[in-house]
Amino acid sequence: MIWIETLLNGIFLGALYGVLGLGLALVFGVMRVINVSHGEFIVLAAYLGAFLAAAFPQITPLLFVFPIVVAGFAVGWAYQATLLNRVVGAPNPLVPMLLTFGVSIVLRNLMLEVFGSDQTAINPGPVAQASLVVFGVHLGVLPLITLGLSIALFGALSYAVRHTTLGRMVRATADDPRIIRLMGVDPRRIYALVMGVSLALAGVAGLLLAMRTSFNAASGVDRILISFEVVVLGGLGSFWGALLAGIMLGVTQLVGFRFDANSGLLYAHILFFAFLVVRPNGLFGARR
Amino acid sequence: MNLVEIERLEAFYGDMQALFGVDLTLAAGECVALVGANGAGKSTLLKCLTGLLEVGGGDIRLAGRSLKGLPAEAVSRLGVSMSPEGRMLFASLTVEENLTMGALNKRTGPWSLARIYDLFPVLMERRTQLAPTLSGGQQQMVAIGRALMANPVVMLCDEISLGLAPIVVGQIYQSFADIRREGTAMIVVEQDIQRALAVADRVVCLLKGRITLEAKASDVSLTALTQAYFGD
Amino acid sequence: MNPAIRLLPFVALIAAVVIAPLTLSDAALHLASELLVVLTLAVMWNLLAGYAGLMSLGHQAFFGIGGYAVFLFANATGMAPFWGFPIAGAAAAVAAAAIAPLLFRLRDAYFAIGTWVLAEIVSILAQRTDALGGITGVALARMDAIDFTRFEGQMFLAAAATALAAIAGSVWLLRSRLGLALMSVRDNEQAAAAIGVNVWANRFIAFVISAAGCGVAGAISLLGGLVAQPGNAFSPEWTVIMTFVVVIGGIGTLEGPIVGVLVYFVIREVTTVALGLSGSWYLVAMGAVAIATMLFAPQGFWPLLRDRMQVSWLDVQRRFPSMDR
Repeated sequence: MIWIETLLNGIFLGALYGVLGLGLALVFGVMRVINVSHGEFIVLAAYLGAFLAAAFPQITPLLFVFPIVVAGFAVGWAYQATLLNRVVGAPNPLVPMLLTFGVSIVLRNLMLEVFGSDQTAINPGPVAQASLVVFGVHLGVLPLITLGLSIALFGALSYAVRHTTLGRMVRATADDPRIIRLMGVDPRRIYALVMGVSLALAGVAGLLLAMRTSFNAASGVDRILISFEVVVLGGLGSFWGALLAGIMLGVTQLVGFRFDANSGLLYAHILFFAFLVVRPNGLFGARR
Repeated sequence: MNLVEIERLEAFYGDMQALFGVDLTLAAGECVALVGANGAGKSTLLKCLTGLLEVGGGDIRLAGRSLKGLPAEAVSRLGVSMSPEGRMLFASLTVEENLTMGALNKRTGPWSLARIYDLFPVLMERRTQLAPTLSGGQQQMVAIGRALMANPVVMLCDEISLGLAPIVVGQIYQSFADIRREGTAMIVVEQDIQRALAVADRVVCLLKGRITLEAKASDVSLTALTQAYFGD
Repeated sequence: MNPAIRLLPFVALIAAVVIAPLTLSDAALHLASELLVVLTLAVMWNLLAGYAGLMSLGHQAFFGIGGYAVFLFANATGMAPFWGFPIAGAAAAVAAAAIAPLLFRLRDAYFAIGTWVLAEIVSILAQRTDALGGITGVALARMDAIDFTRFEGQMFLAAAATALAAIAGSVWLLRSRLGLALMSVRDNEQAAAAIGVNVWANRFIAFVISAAGCGVAGAISLLGGLVAQPGNAFSPEWTVIMTFVVVIGGIGTLEGPIVGVLVYFVIREVTTVALGLSGSWYLVAMGAVAIATMLFAPQGFWPLLRDRMQVSWLDVQRRFPSMDR
């Protein structure tokens, strides 16, 4: 029974990891940029959530998803428009990556200065206690909601990209940002949109993650590594692959805990590395 | 007033000058063939017309309005569209999705998906296929269709026949009659001189960034053209 | 120019290094050692990223391995720790050689991420291994192995020797056939392979040398602090410093790391000493400078200066593929 619960909890956590990676995958897929600062924005959203939770203790923290999505989108748009758009498409792919690396260091250390290095978490409130019993297995309501939200986000994004005009514009821009200009579309605005969505997703994941584990200003490193692992394992260009990869990593981590408490992300990292060596193109090894 | 007026156009790639004072006009419904050796400046001229390359000197006017300094997105909305060299279809989109991308600039006019499928019936059959899975000729049809979906007043065709079988090229060129009937002006860059002369009203030859010949397609002599093409 | 005159600056440099322990204060020597360690790290990272085209975000692993190695060596043998420096380099080299076959299956960005994940794995394992002292790490078992009156001076000499060796080694390496082969692989892997360059072997050599250099640097740095702990040995901050110093200075140039270290020093001194701000602020400043560099001068400071001054210093006449936007 304990193993089933571990497995299920791994799935719940893993779906969240999938959302963490989804934002990163979007940016890489469309702009070919690895946003190393993705982890710091996840942590920033968590701090925002903690702030809101302290300021409005009567509101259940789950609802903060809404302001955080809006804030994440706005920040992402601004980030792209003011900084990243200047270096996207640079002949050397290191340039944009190093810029985001710089942003990551600035953010991480600013947060360290402002918030200190103490661990914080967001108390999810009464919903954390609620649970259902299904076939004799205890399932927390909060993890279920998290899973539902994660799958909904994946589904919504997948649908939007495949079936809406905006989604097609994004795909077309990813294919050929020069030619899309001939159709009256400014690729820089598409990039700003994509980064906005990416950080909105990062924000949601950051908030939800902060409700189940503690974090501090330095947690961005763990977050970005998981995000990378999800993206790479899932194979580029595959949304559902990212979800599956996240679940694999989540399950591995929690199963690892059972044998080896306090192992942190060790087993997830090992799984990632082993997998990558065997299948360098990820689960669904799509085109690069 | 001509639809398109290109006046003393200069263009640069960094420090390298590619066009040295090109003058050209285009009337509505007219078809001009642009010929010349590789590196003569044909694609450069088209890039300036679409706004992909900055006007480095001189001016380009569309229906009296200067295009100088306008980005490609704005020029597209004014009604200049292009079938680029190498087709450049969106690889992860289907035929139909590629075509609808062409209509993004929200211009109105005679061209619609239905009419494109009338013009190129084979695309209708393959409309849910991914663009790269089509044959070269079919991809070229998609590229032209995509440019038409923008309902342009000026349509630029860059090296349509490249890599295609003559029969296929012939089919594509036959569609030009329909395009011109709508009053769209066309500039056609072609390596195949015979083809170019057959479809165009006028022919213009470029050499090292300058115009070396401009004549009516029906009048021009092959010797004059050869000389203008290669220089002395 | 008379060859003897060209050598003059280097002779003066070596003389200055030798005299320094006799004339400078311990604090000054310590600072100088720190800068020389950073210089070594930067030169080694640049060798891998700028010349071999492999960007590593996990080099702190080799730094830490070297650090731990020197302490373990000193504690195990009871010899003066300085003999452990070459051991540290060797340990890091062995680790690099062992992991290379796996790591080299990855490309470009995947390689960078792979190195980062590996470094995390090493760090976590070190924290959890009792034999390595867990979170508290390893300290020198016998403090009497060190003569503290001459410690700073000796560390300075070790750091200076390492840095000079790293630079001299790089210059020699890159002017050699190996260097040419490395850069051909960096510029165009397929073309290099087509003309018979052993892509894998060349990258391997660069990777191992780079790791060894970092290992020695780590040994010197951590010995200076008298303890090797996961927190300081495997801190990602080392990679941040290495990367930013090289990138700000000018990736793919030999002078770049030197210029970068100077910038690093200025920023650190201004923020922590002049402005009296706490430790994280200098990293914020470094990050900001790195961002600005990527926006306005992606080639780095040195190429900017060089093109303006029309000067060629340690130039190996090999250019990094354009960092221009």
